[in-house]
Order: sequence, then C-alpha cells, then structure tokens
Amino acid sequence: MITKTAICPNCKYEVALRGNPGEKIIVICPSCNTKGVFTFPEGKTELKTETGSFAIEVDGLTKIYKDVTAVDDLSFNIRTGEIFGLLGPNGAGKTTTIKAILGLIHVNSGEIKINGFDIKKEGVEARRSVGYLPERVAFYDNLTPLQTMHFFCELWGVDKSVAKPLIREVGLEDAIGRKVGTFSKGMVQLLGVAQVMIGNPPVYILDEPMAGLDARWVKTIREKIKMLNEEGATILFSSHVLSEVETLCDRVAIINKGKLIAEDTVANLNKYLHIKPRLEISIPGLNGKIPDVIKTIGGVEAVDVKGDTLFVTCESSIRSHIITALQNAGFKIDNIKTIEPSLEEAFVKLISKDEGGA
Amino acid sequence: MLGINPKIIYTIAKKEFLDNIRNKWVILLTIIFVILIIVFSYVAGALGGELFGDVESTVVFMVGVTSFIIPLIAIILGFATISGEAENGSLYVVLSYPVRRIEVLTGKLVGLGSVISVSILIGFGIGGLTIALTAGTQSIASYVAFIFLSIFIGIIYLSLAILGSTISKTRTRSIAFGLLILFWGMIYGTVMFAILYATGNSFENMPEWFFNSAILSPGDMHQTTVMRVFGIAEISFNMGPQTLTFPIPDFLSLGNLLICHCVWFSIPFSLAYYFFKRRDI
Repeated sequence: MITKTAICPNCKYEVALRGNPGEKIIVICPSCNTKGVFTFPEGKTELKTETGSFAIEVDGLTKIYKDVTAVDDLSFNIRTGEIFGLLGPNGAGKTTTIKAILGLIHVNSGEIKINGFDIKKEGVEARRSVGYLPERVAFYDNLTPLQTMHFFCELWGVDKSVAKPLIREVGLEDAIGRKVGTFSKGMVQLLGVAQVMIGNPPVYILDEPMAGLDARWVKTIREKIKMLNEEGATILFSSHVLSEVETLCDRVAIINKGKLIAEDTVANLNKYLHIKPRLEISIPGLNGKIPDVIKTIGGVEAVDVKGDTLFVTCESSIRSHIITALQNAGFKIDNIKTIEPSLEEAFVKLISKDEGGA
Repeated sequence: MLGINPKIIYTIAKKEFLDNIRNKWVILLTIIFVILIIVFSYVAGALGGELFGDVESTVVFMVGVTSFIIPLIAIILGFATISGEAENGSLYVVLSYPVRRIEVLTGKLVGLGSVISVSILIGFGIGGLTIALTAGTQSIASYVAFIFLSIFIGIIYLSLAILGSTISKTRTRSIAFGLLILFWGMIYGTVMFAILYATGNSFENMPEWFFNSAILSPGDMHQTTVMRVFGIAEISFNMGPQTLTFPIPDFLSLGNLLICHCVWFSIPFSLAYYFFKRRDI
C-alpha cells in the first residue's frame, strides 16, 4: 500500500490517495466533483529477490593509505539480481571500495566475496563472475577496438567472435578500424562498456559509468544497465550524481569519508529521512514577504520565499488548510505545484548530518 | 589455486610483442646496432687479422657496442611496464579479468623479451653474415653462443627494468630507476676503483677480487662471459705506451658466470613479482 497525492486538474485541489503500485482508481474531486482516473506508479521499492544469495558481500572492509583512512569498516551486501547504487561525494571512498571488491588493492582488514568466492583466496574464480568498468578506463592506444576486444576475449577465454557484435552493440562499428588512441573520452568509455560484457558475467561493477559523458551516451549506458539487469545480471554502480541512481537502482548505499551512512531502497531512504514534498505556491505581488497567516497554521515545518513564490514544507494532509488560509487572508493564488523529494536532498541531509551539521 | 594458465601468458606476451615491435626507439636502436655490427665485422674481416685479428677480436669490439645498446633497448621496453599502465589505467581492466598477476608479469617478460630477441637476431644475423662472407665461418659455434649470451643479458636488463616499473608509482619515477640500471656499470666501476686505491692497491697491481667483482655488474659479467666463450683468457688494458695484461681469474669460469647470469635474472624478476603482487593498482 502506498500513499500518493493527486491534484485535481480542474480546481487544483489536492487529495491524498492510498492504493497498490500499478492500481487504477476512479477519483471524484471533493472540492469541484470532477471525475478522473488515477494510476498509482509502479513501485521500485520491492526487491527482486527477497531472500536468497548475495552477489557481492563486503564485511568490515578497511583500507588505510599511509595516513588517510579511505574506507572505514564498511559492510554491505548486494542481492543477486538487483541494481545497487554506491553513492557518495567525490573522495568518499567509492573507487577504493570497488577496487577492493575486485582485489586490485590490498585491504587492511575485511572480507569480500563475489558470487561466494573470496577475492583473496579465490581471486581468479571471483573475477570470472565480474565485468568491471573502471572510473577512468584506458586501453592500448596502438590497438584498434577490434584488436582490443580480441585481446580481452582471449584473456577471458571466450571465442573472439563475440567481439564484433559487442562493438556494434555500443555503436562503435564506424570506428572499428581506427586506433583507440584517436578516440574521444566517450568512445573509450563505450569500448569499456563493450569490454565489460565479454563472457556474459553474472555481476557488473561500473565505477562512475556516466561521468563526463554527454546526454546521448548517458542514455545508451542507462539502457545497457537496464537491459543487463533484465537479463538477470546483478549490477553495482557508483555515482556522485543522484539523478542517475534514483531511477535505476533498487537499493543504494551512501558512503561518506569511507563510512556507510545509509543503505536502503530509494523510497525508504526518503521515508527514513523524513523528507517531505514541498508545496510551491505562486502569489503575484508577494515580493519576498512571508504571509503572517502561514505561521499560525500548525504542522508547517518550513517556509521560504523567493520573489512571488512561496515554498512550504509540511505534511500533505494540511496542504488544503494552507491554501484555504492564504485565500481567506486575501492572497490570490496563481499556481500550485508540489515538488517530490529527490535523493539529492536525502544525500545532502545525510552528509551534513554525518559531518555534524543540521 | 596456485596454478598458472599458460594461455594468459601467451595472450599478454603476444599483445606486448605486437605492440612493442613497432616501438620507434627499438627500431632506431636496432638500425644503429646493425650498422655498427656491419662496420665492425667488415673492417675486421677486410683487414684480415692485420689490425683487428680474427673473428674473436671483432667480437671483443662488438661486445663493447652490444653491452650498451642491448641494455638500452631492454630498459626502453621495460621501464614503464607496470607503472605506465597503472598510471594511464589500462592495467585496471586487465587485472579485473580472471588472471593472476604472475601470469601478467610473465607474459610481459616473454613478450618484451621476444622483441629484444628479434632485435638481437636481426643485428647479429646481418653481422654474422658479413663476418662469414669476409672472414670465414671458423668460429660459428662461439658466435652462436655470443648471440645466446646477448639475448640472456637483454633478458637480465629487462627483468631489472620491470622490477623498477613495479616499484615506481609513476612512469616518471621509473625513468630514474632505468637510468640507474643503465649506468650501474659506471657507478660500480668508480666505486671498485675507489676501493682498489683505498686498500693500497694500484692499477698495475690488481688483486683477483677486483676482477671477480665483475659479477656485481651485469655488463662486466656479460663481457667476461663472451671472452670465455671465445677462449680469450686474458684481459688487456691499453695504458698509453704500455699494455697491461691480466689473466682472467679461475673463479670467473664459464659455469660460474652462467650461474651468475641466472641469479641476475631470477632475483630481480622474483622481486618484481613480490612488489607487483603487493602493489595497489
């Protein structure tokens, strides 16, 4: 059961509705009696595997570089079949965590398993389950994409015939005979994506896969991630841009300064952080002044004003009170919008909390 | 669990070979190498023993050239093997594959070693042909041994260069290590002469340990071995009007020298593996 707020297209009246994801209900506006159909969005909250195996297990991971603790006693599990987002600002320890999972760096303490294989003791078996796209991917400048792919096919131990279709899949077939040294950053990244799919691994680890790419390529990579997941792969990807993660991930872990500060579904994270939708009310002639009447309404958590626009943070149940109170006080309301909370806010809130802020 | 997959070594070696056989510095040095060898062998052969003597003498001159050019080629090929790829990021992808670090390192050694071998075989092949045409083929077996020793010393310098690349964090820092390897013979020579004089000896009266210490410098060790192969038993120094001649000490037998070659290869390569295995990529 989820709760959603519907806005009447006719009179802008807001009503709270409860239903199941994907369910359609007929709504009659309590204010102007307009009839309409409301569809609850498909929830991303439920997990594809409730119980079952973990694709990646990280337990008590600690990595210290000389005098800097890059990762501090980090533990999390990634369930088989999910898209897991590793979030954090730059320098939070995301890349260190990923490199530790792959055994590229030696950890001070902690245990890591990929598909049940211990990365320290069974490194080759563990890495056979993973396709990895590094943050700054690089190949050999003198080789063509085809030669590069052939080289990696041989390393993986699969037939070279998969190389060409994979290059075509990421849209690099026009550059198949060019040397990688002449490629743009985006093209190298796409070759990295093609490379990651060699051997159809069950787990993908993508470090900032969309960083620095233009919108067209970001779309290609997003679609690729979705497609691989639909085919049953588990995907871990890191990002410092929340909008990338929000729509793709089943669950996210937020890390800052090498520590895990939250691990949950996107929806739960919002709930847990009590980030509420904001009401954006346009009142012509407001001119940066907060109407006094707002302050008298119970349940209003925050009020802010910018020009003729008033921002109110409150429980959705008292929104109608605010509108009525404003109208009764003689304000002419031009437009009302609700702004759904974004992970961005969750992120900023968590990090500032973590750093001893508000 | 400690098994090694030869296919991975082959794949890495093949890639390294094809990538580096086109290295412009290696090509340039091979060309210089070929020219010098032709010049030496032609001059020696044409003069027919009057000035340079026979093939053995030509070889003594050639070893002066090869013992600088071969290490230089090896260092250019190997100095950034690990540090360079770790710096630009291509190593991340390779090591995320189901491979062991020993396979990657061995593959690089084999691939780059093949490049050195090809370069040496071209140089010596052409040189040998010139010698055969002008001076005859009487020392063919020793000449083949000389080729083998040249490849061996190339691999030794390669393992030293690779060791440098596994220790250095960046490409730039491995250059310093490469220069140290290249000029080690000079550094070592200076130090040994300092010890020689400090212990009350002089140039005219060199003790045996002074010659034996050649095993501490791969270049000197290599030159002594080549002499042994060609049956040369004395080391000569031209000191202005006089020529000083010393017999090569018994300690520096061919067998001992070959053991030293093996030590100079296996210790640096083992250390390279030790540091590479522990390295954070």
